[in-house]
Amino acid sequence: MPANGETRRMKNWVFYIIFAAVIAAVLVIFHFISGRQFLDWSNVKGIISRSAYPCFIAWGFCFLFACGYTDMSIGGVVVLGSFASCILGNWFGLPGVIIGGLVVGLLLIFINFLIFTYSGIPSWIAGISLAMIYEALAFLLKISKGTKALISTSLAKEYRILGQLPWCLILLLIGFVIVYFIYNRTTVGLNIRALGGNKDVAEKLGINTKKTLLFVGLIAGILVGVSCVLQQSYAGQTTVKTGLTSINMIFQPLAIYLLAQIIRERINIVVCVPICAFILYSIFNLLTMLGVPSGTLQEAFLGAFIVIFGIIGSRKVKGVVK
Amino acid sequence: MKSRVKLSDLVPFIAFVVLFVFFSIGTKGKMLSSYSLKMLIEQSILTIISGCGVLFVVAQGSIDLTVGVNVALSGVVAMHVAHVTGQGWLMVPVALAVGLAMGLFNGFIVSKCHVPSFTLSIAMLIGVRGVVNFIQTKIGVEYVPQSMLFMTSSAFRIGAFFVIAIIMAYLFEFTKLGRYSRAIGENETTARFVGVPVDRMKIAVFALSGLMAGFGALFSMATVGGTTQTMGVFLEMKVAMGVFFGGVLVTGGSSAKFYKIILGALSITIIVYGLSLMGMSDSHISQSVEGGLLLVILFLTILANRKKTRLEVLHDGPHDVPKSPDAPQAPEAPQA
Amino acid sequence: MSESILEIRGLNKHFGPTYANRNIDFTLGRGEVHGLLGENGSGKSTLLSQIAGLYRCDSGEMSVNGEKYDPHSPLDANARGISMVMQELGVIGSLPAGVNVFLGRTGQFSKGGIVDLGEMNRAAAAVFEKWELPMPRLGRLTEGMSIEERKMIELARALSIDPEILLLDEVTQSLSLNNRNRLYELIAKFRDMGRSVIVITHDIEEMVQITDVITVLRDGEVVGRVNTKDTDPDKLRMMMVGRNISGDYYRDDNVPECDGETVLEVRGLSVPGELEDVSFDVHAGEILGFCGLSDAGIHSVGKAVFGLTGAAGTVHFLPTDAYIKSAPQALANHMGYVPKDRDNEALMIHANIRDNSVLPSVNELKGPLGLLAPGKVSSLADGIVKRFSVKTTGIRQPMDALSGGNKQKVNLGRWLAKDLRLLILDCPTRGVDVGVKAAIYSLMKEAKKTGIAVILISDELTEVLGMADRLLVMKDGRVTREIRRDEDFTEQAVIGVMI
Repeated sequence: MPANGETRRMKNWVFYIIFAAVIAAVLVIFHFISGRQFLDWSNVKGIISRSAYPCFIAWGFCFLFACGYTDMSIGGVVVLGSFASCILGNWFGLPGVIIGGLVVGLLLIFINFLIFTYSGIPSWIAGISLAMIYEALAFLLKISKGTKALISTSLAKEYRILGQLPWCLILLLIGFVIVYFIYNRTTVGLNIRALGGNKDVAEKLGINTKKTLLFVGLIAGILVGVSCVLQQSYAGQTTVKTGLTSINMIFQPLAIYLLAQIIRERINIVVCVPICAFILYSIFNLLTMLGVPSGTLQEAFLGAFIVIFGIIGSRKVKGVVK
Repeated sequence: MKSRVKLSDLVPFIAFVVLFVFFSIGTKGKMLSSYSLKMLIEQSILTIISGCGVLFVVAQGSIDLTVGVNVALSGVVAMHVAHVTGQGWLMVPVALAVGLAMGLFNGFIVSKCHVPSFTLSIAMLIGVRGVVNFIQTKIGVEYVPQSMLFMTSSAFRIGAFFVIAIIMAYLFEFTKLGRYSRAIGENETTARFVGVPVDRMKIAVFALSGLMAGFGALFSMATVGGTTQTMGVFLEMKVAMGVFFGGVLVTGGSSAKFYKIILGALSITIIVYGLSLMGMSDSHISQSVEGGLLLVILFLTILANRKKTRLEVLHDGPHDVPKSPDAPQAPEAPQA
Repeated sequence: MSESILEIRGLNKHFGPTYANRNIDFTLGRGEVHGLLGENGSGKSTLLSQIAGLYRCDSGEMSVNGEKYDPHSPLDANARGISMVMQELGVIGSLPAGVNVFLGRTGQFSKGGIVDLGEMNRAAAAVFEKWELPMPRLGRLTEGMSIEERKMIELARALSIDPEILLLDEVTQSLSLNNRNRLYELIAKFRDMGRSVIVITHDIEEMVQITDVITVLRDGEVVGRVNTKDTDPDKLRMMMVGRNISGDYYRDDNVPECDGETVLEVRGLSVPGELEDVSFDVHAGEILGFCGLSDAGIHSVGKAVFGLTGAAGTVHFLPTDAYIKSAPQALANHMGYVPKDRDNEALMIHANIRDNSVLPSVNELKGPLGLLAPGKVSSLADGIVKRFSVKTTGIRQPMDALSGGNKQKVNLGRWLAKDLRLLILDCPTRGVDVGVKAAIYSLMKEAKKTGIAVILISDELTEVLGMADRLLVMKDGRVTREIRRDEDFTEQAVIGVMI
């Protein structure tokens, strides 16, 4: 029924326009609340470069959650990957930065998925164990036996360009296009989503579960690898996290993913992720400008934000929720 | 399965015994000294106390990762109230009340608003830690008031621990609350169809878990002598590890047993403490050993439990009983 | 009919100890629309699933176009030109409609690794157009779509392989009238192209209207094969349900006992889309039967009375003067409920007999300080095992190690071990063998003697007729007729009202 389709298409456009208008309005309001500083280009630049690396992890989450898995060790992987990026970067320059992060991120996440797939241990608990191992590894790498610093932990300034505009924006755009295509336009992407949507149906339609899961490891691995590179380039250094504190690193990407998921029925989740990342860091940015301390009340806002959106997103859910 | 004892129930025992023997030999008997044994118990207390509330939640097939921040929040608030009012004893009811209130909130959001407990946990983990940090930037670290110093004696703590643990074991193994919770974990639909008040039970166990976090706060402050900046940090992960190390399945149900949280928490403490006794004081080696062992033991539990295991936490896996096509569809699997 | 395209000889399928199919012989002709008819649980869906490759056959042979056919998966079936629209399968909500049509086969639209969505959607659109199905928005996720739209997507998926044989399992029940007509046209077109269709539907008139040949199944066996033009709905109904009532396990009297003290008064019970204004009384020592076709709402009555659906109307339990609004309240007021789906709704299938047995009696066993003494719990479970002669190695044996009949004994026994006033039984003999069936009926007679009011909801008409004092016939969510045991208590009379 084309007429029906037309009106629906219209409705969708109206939704997009309203959505864009609301975001624009919010940003303008932010601008005035912050005393006309918010929309300052240098400020926006800051927000974009800050959003880049969580954005890639959040895209990784899209694939992980799409098939019903989660990985708590990503923080630990990012620490190790950033290290590799840093060491190789200082040795071999820019190619080292890229290869170091990418290889380590890809390898470790793929190993994680081998473990998830073949051991049958629930992924998030296995993830915690792996996080402990990776954190300890990072620590051993950094500290020599005499507790002297084994290596310089900060990346040379000239190799940090990937973490700043325009490079991080370019990477984001390239990443966006690739992720969008993989998620929406490849057999693997579609199979991953089918697996998460209804495993029984997917298997009956001939989708190979294990193979698909390993592909998730591969894709998420690459995304986490890129975010290792970006993290190291943005921050320049990585602090070692122990006692499971590396898990803190995935909270913000997780929040981005959870926010994006809520509007995924109307807007493709791959598109939602950068939007939500930008909004999230805009809010943090605004709160900082308003003098709300970070690491304390900003986190409280974030937590409340997730709970509220979680409730909105779950209002249609019936049946068993654990 | 002919034997009355299931293989999967033995795994945590075997793990515990093997670890204990290994470290007893590895430390050349140092592990067996009365001082070491006392340290083992003391170091496990906080995990077990906070864990026995979480055990109820896990038995229902949900997860509560908020105990760590709950310990911090209720501890910090309680201590501050005690200081401001000058009434030291007030820290006890206030800690319990704050813990309970947060638990009630969690239970309400999970049962009535259908937010998955994992999502809620993560949000609370971020948000409440932020609030605690904020409070602590204002009031700083505080010490246990003079009138309550008796709490810090280890005899008192161990005594209180045993009383609480016995009460919780009783609640879990021998009362309606425990039985209904395991039933909800086994099959929530079934529980509802028999007339179990599922929503009320969910709120109750989250509230209980919160209350135990309140107790955990008191124990934590009693051990350290006051509040700290890192109070309860990652306690929730330790607790979760203890529960699952002990052999409880993420799906909960009958696999949840009280002794498992005790064994799990003790096993983890043995690894940490044993490694340090062996001279590997570097906590980071012990951390990676801990992580590796956790993986191995979980894997063994799952192998022993193969028949019952469902693949994923966040999804209800396939039923291994063939369903006749005329049977009505089971409720849709929840979205992660 | 002309030459055959699908031949089945001596097909068997069992789930555990119960047979779903027994020695099925079946022939599908080319260009034939073949109906499968039978009560719930007669094995027709199982048969279809085996043809579609969803279940392996335990024994027997199938051949397509004269060649051996032994599908391991639906993909194998597709490769041989067979596809199915299932009753339950559904589409994947987190994927767009167009993708759902080609899921599992998206690789064929892949160019250099990228799936050409445009081409795929065009191909999907071509399927919808070719078969004149209403087209959904192909790019939209299906989770927001109506059941009807989703069903159409499934239909398009089945048609997208251009099948020689199309299997339709209860497709029409979720369709509105105009889409039903579209489907009928589609089936006719299919036949004109010389292809074959196997249809399952509960609507007998519909079946007579659209099929050429009908095979009737009962208890997993073929009881007859007729040309549609030689039969009529009434004859088919007789074949479907007409079973000799063997006197020994049902009641042999025809005296209704409806004069006991009223235990339950139900007034104006309504659940949107399921029940409309259902009112009735149940008396002590009475078995009140409910029967109706699959969409009549009989199963909803049980759920609603036990407080599980939050239905409008009142459920007044007279012995304690309570108005039942929730299941915990029903449990506290001496009511019991045995739901239809034993493995998913009634039992904790992985837990042991002891844990399952004690669940409804937790409140009664509670001692001081809320103590559920292990001794009391075990003796309750032991009592149930002994009294209902459950075949088991002990009360710590997990439920899933028991046969269907023994599971049901525990399921029923744990309620009868209580001090009940009202027991709701929804298909209590579903999937159990004859011996256990007899045992369950004698338990019902016993319960009746002790003054328990029983609500018996069943898809098996003979069972209700054999056991009930009074029968309420339902249709479209309403009670259409009440028949007492001493009145016109025959299948023909009831079927006449049911349809």
